[in-house]
Amino acid sequence: MAIKKGLFKTSIGRKNLMAFTGLFTSFFLIIHLIGNLILIIPDSYFPIEFWGNVASAHDMYNAYSHFLVHFWPISLVAWVLYAALIVHVIDAILITLNNNKAKGEKYKVTDNSTSTWYSRNMGILGTIIGIFIFIHMTQFWLQYKVLENEHDLYNLVVATFKEWWVLVIYEIGIIALGFHLVHGIESAHRSLGVYPKNAMGIVKYIALCFGIIMAVLYAIIPIILYFK
Amino acid sequence: MALNAKIPKGPLKDKWQNYLNNTNIVNPANRKKIDVIVVGGGLSGGGAAASLAELGYNVKVFFFQDSARRSHSVAAQGGVNAAKNYKNDGDNIYRMFYDTVKGGDYRSREANVYRMAECSVDLIDHMTAQGVPFGREYSGYLSNRSFGGVLVSRTFYARGQTGQQLLLATYQALMKQVKVGTLTQYSRHEILDLVVVDGKARGVIVRDLVTGKIERHSAHAVVLGTGGFGKIFYLSTLAMNSNGSATWRAHKKGAYFANPSWTQIHPTALPQAGEHQSKLTLMSESLRNDGRIWVPKNKDDDRKPGDIPAEDRDYYLERRYPAFGNLVPRDVASRAAKERMDAGHGVGSLKNAVYLDFKTAIERLGEDTIKERYGNLFTMYQKITNINAYKEPMKISPAAHFSMGGLWVDYELQTTIPGLFAVGEANFADHGANRLGANSLLQASVDGNFILPNTISNYLSNEIRTGKISTDTPEFDEAEKAVKDQVEKLLAIKGTMPVDQIHRRLGKIMFKEVAMSRNEKGMLWAIEEIKKLRKEFWGNAAISGDEHGPNSELEKAGRLADYLEIAELMAVDALNRKESCGAHFREEYQTEDGEAVRDDENYMYSAAWEWMQGKNWKLHKEELEFKDIEVKTRSYK
Amino acid sequence: MKLTLKIWRQDNAKAKGKLVKYELSDLSTDMSFLEMLDVLNEQLASKGERVVEFDHDCREGICGQCSLVINGQAHGPEGHYTTCQTHLRSFKDGQTLNIEPFRANSFPVIRDLKVDRTSMDHIIQAGGYISSFTGMAPEANSIPIHHNIAESAFDSAACIGCGACIATCKNSSAALFMSAKIAHLAKLPQGQIERAERVVWMVNAHDDEGFGSCTNTGACAMVCPQEVPLLDITRMNYEYNRSLKTIDS
Repeated sequence: MAIKKGLFKTSIGRKNLMAFTGLFTSFFLIIHLIGNLILIIPDSYFPIEFWGNVASAHDMYNAYSHFLVHFWPISLVAWVLYAALIVHVIDAILITLNNNKAKGEKYKVTDNSTSTWYSRNMGILGTIIGIFIFIHMTQFWLQYKVLENEHDLYNLVVATFKEWWVLVIYEIGIIALGFHLVHGIESAHRSLGVYPKNAMGIVKYIALCFGIIMAVLYAIIPIILYFK
Repeated sequence: MALNAKIPKGPLKDKWQNYLNNTNIVNPANRKKIDVIVVGGGLSGGGAAASLAELGYNVKVFFFQDSARRSHSVAAQGGVNAAKNYKNDGDNIYRMFYDTVKGGDYRSREANVYRMAECSVDLIDHMTAQGVPFGREYSGYLSNRSFGGVLVSRTFYARGQTGQQLLLATYQALMKQVKVGTLTQYSRHEILDLVVVDGKARGVIVRDLVTGKIERHSAHAVVLGTGGFGKIFYLSTLAMNSNGSATWRAHKKGAYFANPSWTQIHPTALPQAGEHQSKLTLMSESLRNDGRIWVPKNKDDDRKPGDIPAEDRDYYLERRYPAFGNLVPRDVASRAAKERMDAGHGVGSLKNAVYLDFKTAIERLGEDTIKERYGNLFTMYQKITNINAYKEPMKISPAAHFSMGGLWVDYELQTTIPGLFAVGEANFADHGANRLGANSLLQASVDGNFILPNTISNYLSNEIRTGKISTDTPEFDEAEKAVKDQVEKLLAIKGTMPVDQIHRRLGKIMFKEVAMSRNEKGMLWAIEEIKKLRKEFWGNAAISGDEHGPNSELEKAGRLADYLEIAELMAVDALNRKESCGAHFREEYQTEDGEAVRDDENYMYSAAWEWMQGKNWKLHKEELEFKDIEVKTRSYK
Repeated sequence: MKLTLKIWRQDNAKAKGKLVKYELSDLSTDMSFLEMLDVLNEQLASKGERVVEFDHDCREGICGQCSLVINGQAHGPEGHYTTCQTHLRSFKDGQTLNIEPFRANSFPVIRDLKVDRTSMDHIIQAGGYISSFTGMAPEANSIPIHHNIAESAFDSAACIGCGACIATCKNSSAALFMSAKIAHLAKLPQGQIERAERVVWMVNAHDDEGFGSCTNTGACAMVCPQEVPLLDITRMNYEYNRSLKTIDS
């Protein structure tokens, strides 16, 4: 008897794929954040004797971005990341389509008190994040890495965040990301089957902390840059 | 026709083995040529269907629920008995046999009871292997609790949902056979008649409860595992759709009905709270292990239970029956409660309940232990009554529960119609005049899993040359026409009295005169009332809708039509038995202190009734012999 | 007390359904929800109108036959109750109640509030059992099972198969129902031999029946009458991934 279907054709297989790609992307968020934090280091923190040639956050940020773009192992990881994101999105669309098909006629009255709004609306949050990523990438990744229009990324970033509407878009995107992470990290572990009771308790806590910390730190940087 | 119980020869303990040694078996290659119809998907029917399918017969199983997992075996709570003697408390097969015969007040068939006790040992092994999560000791070995009417601990349990767990195991075995393809299930199908061809049961007429179509199905043998008919009282512990129709229609086709009046009234159900109540939820008998039953000593004591001091409480079971105390058998406990309530000591707003108090047990064992043993029962109690039973005593009351009576069967579980078998509560054999707690799951399971598959082969071994049974015969035509006529007749009444209301009135008549306490005058009155009600039903029942598609009113009406006939036979049977035994308590036959008086001289028989085309019933006696047990007055004092 | 009921009426799976309004008065708060429907049906029957079809049987919360979504909540407002255990004391006098059937594509409406849940049977048929035939079993005490493991297996085995989890799930996923059986049998030593195949077969059947993917919102466990642990779904996913290793060898 044929036992297994294609690994990612079953409901659980697809969720595994969501979990893997989601967790990988979440890990990238940490690396990305470290780079971002350079933006808000005050120049007074750069005594020459300690940092060598790097005399300011400006220098440091540009050096960091140069390194990211030109060190080939990192580029490789970047391509994996793009792939993960695309698979995450496509998989999400497939799951949602299938789930919509599974639903029968809609209830005339619904009561949603049994679950959190963000766990129910991962798709909407994900779409907001997707739009945000698109804007974000056309603003920086496209200009700096692909078209190479701009060589001083620090200047580009600081200039961009002086616009109020950019700030608003970023804050919306980041809040959506925070909620997406709180449910996503826990859900990913559940999908992968981290089942001992205590482990799940810890995962739940980590997911909450991770979501909040990421959202707050990511959110604070554009605000600082706007007012700086 | 004279009754032949076909009890095998030899000493009691060897009878079943002797039977197995000499019975005919069907060659595995021939089994797939043989069709068996099983009606009922519960522990007895489902167990029989699964076991027969495993053996390789073509099995069709019919039930009215949407899945076999909903059969009413699911509701049994406390446990299942087995003579494993894991407790080293002196239990063995004989003692279990003894307890069951004594508990049944010496009105059961010795050989059957012994076989049930014998098979109980295998049943626990079987169910454990199927994945039933029985309660365990910390050593990992199986745990036991005590039940009423016995002095040993032989009840295996899965919290308070033992019936559910056994049923699910059986259901899973059934589902496996569906996958394998040896078994076809017909959910939402109700059997409306039995087809008898040349004196043999050859098929059934069923109604598809979804499409409303009347269908014919044929087989070489028919097995009824359709449960009891306690719902005749309307207010009972049974499921709303449990019914006696399949057995009754079989009765009208020639199967004798034995001891119909023996209905167990369970002592620990929730009391009725209002006129519209549809169900009396059972609270497991196992609660009597740790709960103490009492009523206020003073009549109409309106104090809260917690405010009544010990000296004003009457622990009447402990007072009247010091040896067994709160664990007396059900019939005794129910009658004692009725006696107290009739004397004006009942509690609750309708004065129709007694207290079941856990205070002493909680003080002794702690709330956690009680929670682990009965947690789900306490939760269920709270859900229904909104009362926290850890804080104040439960209010309980007797309710109609189990039918000891049923289709008369011989040792092979075959009715008086050749090829028609009855298993579980649908037959009458093992419990005598009163069933002991936790013996119901046992009987249903062993009948289905261990006994019927071995006895039915003796019958089927003569059927290997019969070939497929045609449904295109005059007998099927006639049965189908009768069923269709009845449906039409019911729908043509177009009266104004809802079916449930008529059923409620029938229940009241029955509970008043043909339940815990009976007398001649009352029952003669009851028969007249039943006849009047029957007339009213056929003249003024409100059955709306049509026969095409689902129609729950039509289903209910069909069942009630049968109940209105069964009720009369119950009263006739109770009138005939001029003695008190087990659940059958005749007020004319009691001692001065209200204990039952049996008449072994004249009534040591099972009364099997033959349908005489509606004119009356003919009594056939199966005399009971007790060679391996001394017949004594049952005493739990 | 008085209640206004808006009840879903639909002739069969193909017909279009609609909410129909009924008024009931003189109800008692001690009545169960289904007894209230009995009252309504008695009134309809005596007027010769077709009664409201609804599923029910044991009326003590164990058979799993009763269903209904009351004001958007599967089995009513109490949480962890079945509809038959829900009493009118949970509602306010004069309240309007919206009563709909359990909805999912795999639960076609039979009539009114009755739905066909055989899709759940199909999941169990795929592998929700231990293939021990009658007569095969070894002595029950030959395999000791730790008290806590037996208790934990019971927590999962307690599922009554009502389908409230599916009805309440925004994806109509049967994950909780299916995982309860998988976890029950995976926890017990008796279930080990078929452990890997069981989960794969059941998940395949689940998908074939047209149920959706679990997105771990946890709504199912909040309405489950038997409080089957949400963790069972996680356990099922573990079993599924574990089976990759053990099958095909």
